[in-house]
Amino acid sequence: MLVYIGKRLLRSLISLFIIIVVVFCLLRMMPIEGYFPSFDKMTPLQVENGLRKMGLLDPVPVQLFNFFKQLLRGDLGTSMRYRQNYSITKIIANKAPFSIRFGMIAVGISIPLGLGLGVLMARKKGGLWDKFGTVYIVIMQAVPAALYYLFLQLYGTQALNISLLYNPDKLETMILPLISLALPSVAYYAMWMRRYAVDESNKDYIKLARAKGVPGAVIWFRHVFRNAVVPIVQLIPNSLLLTLAGSIYVESLYSIPGMGGLMVDVIKRQDNTMVQALVIVFAVLTIVGLLLGDIFMALVDPRISLTRKAEAR
Amino acid sequence: MDDQNTSRSHALGTKVHRTALRAYARSIDGERTAGAGQSLLSIRDLDVRFRLRGQTLHALRGISLDIYPNETLAIVGESGAGKSVLMKNLIGLLDKNGWVNGGSIIFDGIDLAKLKRERDWSGIRGKRIAMVMQDPMTSLNPLKTVGWQIREALRYNQNMHGKEADNRALELLRDVGISEPERRYRQYPHEFSGGMRQRVVIAIALACGPRVLICDEPTTALDVTIQAQILQLINSLKDKYALTLIYITHDLGVVANVADRIAVMYAGDVVELGSCDEVFFDPRHPYTWALLSSLPQLGTRKQDLYTIEGTPPNLFHPIRGDAFAPRNPHPLEIDFLHRPPYFSVSPTHKARTWLLDPRAPQVEPPEAIRNIRELTRMG
Repeated sequence: MLVYIGKRLLRSLISLFIIIVVVFCLLRMMPIEGYFPSFDKMTPLQVENGLRKMGLLDPVPVQLFNFFKQLLRGDLGTSMRYRQNYSITKIIANKAPFSIRFGMIAVGISIPLGLGLGVLMARKKGGLWDKFGTVYIVIMQAVPAALYYLFLQLYGTQALNISLLYNPDKLETMILPLISLALPSVAYYAMWMRRYAVDESNKDYIKLARAKGVPGAVIWFRHVFRNAVVPIVQLIPNSLLLTLAGSIYVESLYSIPGMGGLMVDVIKRQDNTMVQALVIVFAVLTIVGLLLGDIFMALVDPRISLTRKAEAR
Repeated sequence: MDDQNTSRSHALGTKVHRTALRAYARSIDGERTAGAGQSLLSIRDLDVRFRLRGQTLHALRGISLDIYPNETLAIVGESGAGKSVLMKNLIGLLDKNGWVNGGSIIFDGIDLAKLKRERDWSGIRGKRIAMVMQDPMTSLNPLKTVGWQIREALRYNQNMHGKEADNRALELLRDVGISEPERRYRQYPHEFSGGMRQRVVIAIALACGPRVLICDEPTTALDVTIQAQILQLINSLKDKYALTLIYITHDLGVVANVADRIAVMYAGDVVELGSCDEVFFDPRHPYTWALLSSLPQLGTRKQDLYTIEGTPPNLFHPIRGDAFAPRNPHPLEIDFLHRPPYFSVSPTHKARTWLLDPRAPQVEPPEAIRNIRELTRMG
C-alpha cells in the first residue's frame, strides 16, 4: 500500500513539475504589457528598468529557478494589473473562503443525496423513483443552468422573503446559492450511482448472495452500494478540492465575493503573473485530487493495491 | 445388472450410489404411488411463464419430478430447455418477469410455488436449499475477503458470529480442500484460481447447511483437469453433509460420472426420466437418442460429429403434440397432433413418447448409441 502511494506521489510530482515549467515558459512569451499596470504611459527606458527589476531580463532557466525558489517559499508572486503590487496569495486568501464554504457544503449535501437517489432508482428500476429521477437528471443535463438559477433566485427570494443578494451576516441568504450549486451535482452523482448500482446488481455474486439467504436490504447496502460506490469515490476528492475555483454564475448572481470568474478576469486584464499563479494553483488542486482519488480507491478496492497492473473493470 | 454396473463404473471412472438407487427404486414414478411420501422435493405439474416484450414465453410446460433424499439427480438438456428456470423456482430466484402459472413444489410440507414475498423464502433459500453457480470467476464479491463471504452465509443461516464463525469457516475451507486455510481465509477472490474459487463457492453453499444442493453447471467454466476434481469434491461432500444433489448440465460426461438418476429436459418438459444406466443404455425418447448420438466420444475419426437438425421450438408459441417431433428424423403422425403421456418402461424409468404406446411401430434407437455399452467398456 505504501509503495503504491509512494509511486503515485512521485508520478504526481513529476506531472506537476512539467505543468509548472510549461506554464511558466508559455507566459514568458506573452506581451510584456502584462507586467505593468499602466504600460501606455511608460517610456521604453522605464519598461526596461521595470523588467530588469523583476528579473525578467535574465535567461529563462535562471528565471525558472528563481520562480521555483519563490514557489517553495509559498509565494505566488504579486499581481500587476488586477490589483497593483498586491500579493496573489493574499488575493486568493481573501476570496477562496467564500467559494470553499459554499462549494464544500453543496458537495456535502449532494453526495449523500445523489448517491441515495441513485441507489433508490437502481433498486426500483423502472419504478416511480426511477422515472422521477430520470426526468430530473435529464432536466439538469439539458436545460442551461442560467435558466433555473434565475428562476430560483427570483422566485426563491420572494417565497422565502429574503434579500436578493448574499449577505455574510445573514445565514438564510446562503440557502438559495447552495441549492443552485447542489441541484446539478445531485443529478450528476445520482446518474453515475444509478448506473453503477444497476451494473453491480446484475452481477453473479449478487445472485449468490441472494442464494445464500442474505436479506435484500443487506445485499443492497453491503454488496451493491459498497461495490458501486468504488468508481465514484475516485471523483470525490477532486470535486471537493475544485470547489475552490468557485462557480462564476452562482457567485455573480448572488454577488458572492468568491473565486468564481477570477481566472477569466485576470486573463481579460492580461495580468501575466496572476494567470500563471492561478493556473498553477488549479493544476496542483487537480493533481492532488486525482492522487487522493486513486488512494481512496485503493483503500476501498483490494484489487488495486495488491495487483501491480489494475485489473480491467 | 451388476456386471453392467461394474463395467461402466470401471470405464467411466464412476461410482454409483446403490443405496440411493435402491431407495428410490421402490418409489419411483412417484405419481402418487407407493413412496410418494418419501420424496424430499415433489414437483407437480409446474407451469412457469415469462412475459417478454409483450409476449408470453411458456418456459416450463407442466413438469412433474420427485427428488429423493440423498440421491444425485442430473437434469440434462440443451440451452433453453428450462433446466435453470426449474432450479430458480426451487430457490425463489425466478426473474421478475416470470411467474408460476400452476402446479406445486412441495418441500418440507411447504409449497414453494406459492411463496411470493422475499421474506417467505428466508429459512428456505440457503438454509435448506443452496446453490452453486456456473461461473466461479464472477460468483464472489471481489471486494470482500473469502472468509467474510463464508461468514456472511454462516451468520444468516446458522446464526453464527465471531470466533465460532471464524472456526467454522476455516473448517469449511479445509473440507473443500483448500490448503493453508488460515492464510486463504483473509485473501480476496482475485487471489484464487478458478478451481479454488469454485471450492470457495461450494464452501459458502455448505455454510448455509442445506439439505439440497443445486449445482448449476458447476464445472462448465473450469479446465477439464479441474472439472474432475470439483466433481469428486462435491461427491465426497455429499456423504459428509448428507446432501441431496441436483446437477444441471448439458455435459453428459459429467452426468455419467455423478448421477444416480437423469431427467432429460426438452422445451420446458421432462421427456425422459430414469436411472443413469437406463437413460444411457436403454434410452426410449428420440430426443434422448439424439442427445446421446451427439456425444463426441461416439464419433469416429474423420467423420463429422452428430448434430441434431433444426432448432428447439419457439416457446412463445403454443406447442402441439410432441415438442421434439419437428426435429425427429422418424416422427409418427400422432407426434404432431397430441402430446404424449408418460409411458413407464420400468418402475424407475419413464418417457414421454408415443413410441412406447403398444400400438406404435417398432422404431429402433440409432445404430451409434446401441453400442454405447461396448464403447464404454472398451474405454
